[in-house]
Amino acid sequence: MLTYVARRLIQGFVVLLAVSFICFIIFRYTGDPVVTLAGRYATFQEREEVRRAYGLDKPFYVQYVRFVINAARGRFGKSYVSRVPALGLILERLPATVELATSAIVISFCLGVGLGVLVSLKPYAARNRLIMAGSLFGISIPTFLTGILLIMIFAVYLGALPSFGRGETVNIGYWRTGFLTLSGISHLILPAFTLGMYQLAVLLRLTRAGMREILGEEYIKTAWSKGLPPRKVIFKHGLRNALIPVVTMTGLQFGELIAFSIVTETIFQWPGMGNLLLTSIYETDQPVIVTYIMLAALIILTINIVVDILYAFLNPKIRYD
Amino acid sequence: MKKTLVLIFVGVLIGAFMGFMGGTSGASSIVIGVDTPPRTMNPHGSDADANLQVMANIFEGLLQRKAPDGRLVPALAERYEHPDLVTWKLYLRKGVKFHNGNPFTAQDVKFSFERLSNPDVSEFVNTGKSIASIEVIDDYTVVIKTKTPTPWFANNLHQLYMMDKESTEARDPGEVETKPIGTGPYKMVEWIKGSYVKFTANEDYWEGAPPIKNVELRPITESSTRFAALASGQVDMVSGVPVELYEKVVKDKNLEVVKIPARRSIFLPFGNKPGTPMADIRVRKAMYMAINEDEIIEKIMRGHASPAAQIPDPPTIGYNPALERLPYSLETAKKLMKEAGYEKGFEVTLTGPNDRYIMDEQIAEAVAKYLAKIGIKVKLDVKPKSIFFPEVSQGKLEFYLIGWFDGTFDMGRSYLKLIHTRDMEKGFGEFNGANFSDPEIDALLESTAGMVDQEKRKKVLQDLNKMAMVDKIAVIPLHYQVDLYAVQKGKGIKFTPRPDRWIVYKEISK
Repeated sequence: MLTYVARRLIQGFVVLLAVSFICFIIFRYTGDPVVTLAGRYATFQEREEVRRAYGLDKPFYVQYVRFVINAARGRFGKSYVSRVPALGLILERLPATVELATSAIVISFCLGVGLGVLVSLKPYAARNRLIMAGSLFGISIPTFLTGILLIMIFAVYLGALPSFGRGETVNIGYWRTGFLTLSGISHLILPAFTLGMYQLAVLLRLTRAGMREILGEEYIKTAWSKGLPPRKVIFKHGLRNALIPVVTMTGLQFGELIAFSIVTETIFQWPGMGNLLLTSIYETDQPVIVTYIMLAALIILTINIVVDILYAFLNPKIRYD
Repeated sequence: MKKTLVLIFVGVLIGAFMGFMGGTSGASSIVIGVDTPPRTMNPHGSDADANLQVMANIFEGLLQRKAPDGRLVPALAERYEHPDLVTWKLYLRKGVKFHNGNPFTAQDVKFSFERLSNPDVSEFVNTGKSIASIEVIDDYTVVIKTKTPTPWFANNLHQLYMMDKESTEARDPGEVETKPIGTGPYKMVEWIKGSYVKFTANEDYWEGAPPIKNVELRPITESSTRFAALASGQVDMVSGVPVELYEKVVKDKNLEVVKIPARRSIFLPFGNKPGTPMADIRVRKAMYMAINEDEIIEKIMRGHASPAAQIPDPPTIGYNPALERLPYSLETAKKLMKEAGYEKGFEVTLTGPNDRYIMDEQIAEAVAKYLAKIGIKVKLDVKPKSIFFPEVSQGKLEFYLIGWFDGTFDMGRSYLKLIHTRDMEKGFGEFNGANFSDPEIDALLESTAGMVDQEKRKKVLQDLNKMAMVDKIAVIPLHYQVDLYAVQKGKGIKFTPRPDRWIVYKEISK
């Protein structure tokens, strides 16, 4: 187990290096920050001075090596736009994104698995066919449309829920949370559903497929014939075994929800990291973009490793030796 | 029984949510939704208008501009003298205090102007470097000398904000970027990036405390969300109503649209490198006349634009009221192409941004279609502004779409950047992206550099403008944009828009 974790960590480190290198190459082609940094009326010479001041006149490999050395020390440079450390700027937005992603994943996991089990028990009932058809919408409607539809219905026509932002928040140390106020929770509902919609549909279909397969197994028939109560058969013998792919999927999705909730955050003006990323891309704020992508890679890697370890707990047959 | 309880519970919850939504709009507070989030609270840290206008509420320049026409009036300087071409003597207002209680003096002016040339904290490097010396005569008199005659020096003073020397030097640079201390009508209370900025009135403001006591600025970048926030009553007014949503806002009986012609004009510059088709003025004229601008305004801008015959707008020095657009005429255009020997047309690439101006990409597409009618094959190349603008400044383009307005209200300065031949040494033509070059225009433009007498300057810049737009056709002007705001009707908000698109909170009342 330990050697396995160590191997995964080394792999992860190599992946991070590769990601940073690719980032660096790509951002050489996404615009020249000096044009904005020097101001609209700067002369050619003034622009070159600014370029030197920011070290952007150095060759590519020098800039890259300097970035890696600084990053190893936890320094990711200052944002070109707001001129404060990029990492701090992103971490300031982290709580909003984590809370949104967590709510979305909890909603989609509970509803997805719950409905998945329900549907798998009587797959041909009219109600369950309707749920399955609905899940197709969940998979195929793009997030921005879901978001705008939800805003139009619940915020503009019904006036029941707020259309944007985070509402009132409470600071607990460095963590700014919206979970503790009624306004914070009401602001969370629409974006969390929008973000979780796709995941919900995927998990529902995955659970259903897994359950359908497992409910036909011999040992389930044995369990029924032993006279075990339905709850035990379905959940302990059935669902527990069907959950492995579902948990993998949830884990992977959770990382992606944190890292790439850009569309949802933009539609709802959710003050999270995705929102910051989009603004930074518009403004060619390369330090923030690179730091963000590194952080996203780190989050996804960590979650993957954690999910792999969780397997062992869910299914004792799996061993990493 | 259980069901009723659940229903009651849900009802209470919904009621509570709705109660929360109407929360922030008290008697003298206002919530403003804007399209661009503020970038920094360092007043010199961004020269983008979206940021300058936020800073204008916290900080002040030596002069200021007032709604509705943007006229220049005293602010932190009570008056100034201009004894010779490079000297500006400023008499400062007495008794003004920064938000931290420090008095505003000549030392702060010197410090603020010197700070401009430091690229680590300023995007006004050009202005900072144009200053030769700053001399403090006494606590309330400053003499600033520029390196070369700078006719637009005073016109720029409304956006060069004064900072407190003592606290700016004493505090951590990161704190200066996020916690502003100015002399302005509002103090910043809290800035949660991506969420809001809260302001409270400065009761000791030298012009008198502003009428609205609490202002909440809410950046909402997505335009349909901004509309939803307004329609659902979460914000009191918004800027940047998109033309596609205009009809919806007009139909909503709770909302009122406020329109003002914007200062920004949209135009198409081209190159005239000898040997290329566009070096022939007949070809440039044909391209101009083949574009049906009225149709662009009607179909693409949905009426929210006005035709432009030149780059500057009426309040800008250099605007020439006598200029008119060349009429749209396909026959004349075809005839001109034939005379120039390009009856069969030619190929050209039209570059433009797709995320910068109102309907920018659609306008470029329309231009390509119009030019196809006179045989010109246009290859469209639209891209994000972050890639487009560096290309302009590198002079890589043939033919492109761009917009401009001059924050100093003086076209001489902008024309040196836009249509003067690119010249690394002298620092001209940085935004002349297609390398247009004309010695007569260059000569006349350079002659205005030392011209400070405003009447004479106006006359020469008007002549220059006519030369560039009519005699030489250096660009094809298209239209001026219109700025659209929407305000909640029932709340009695009095808001006068400004031509520079700034929302200045002290000018709003309720």
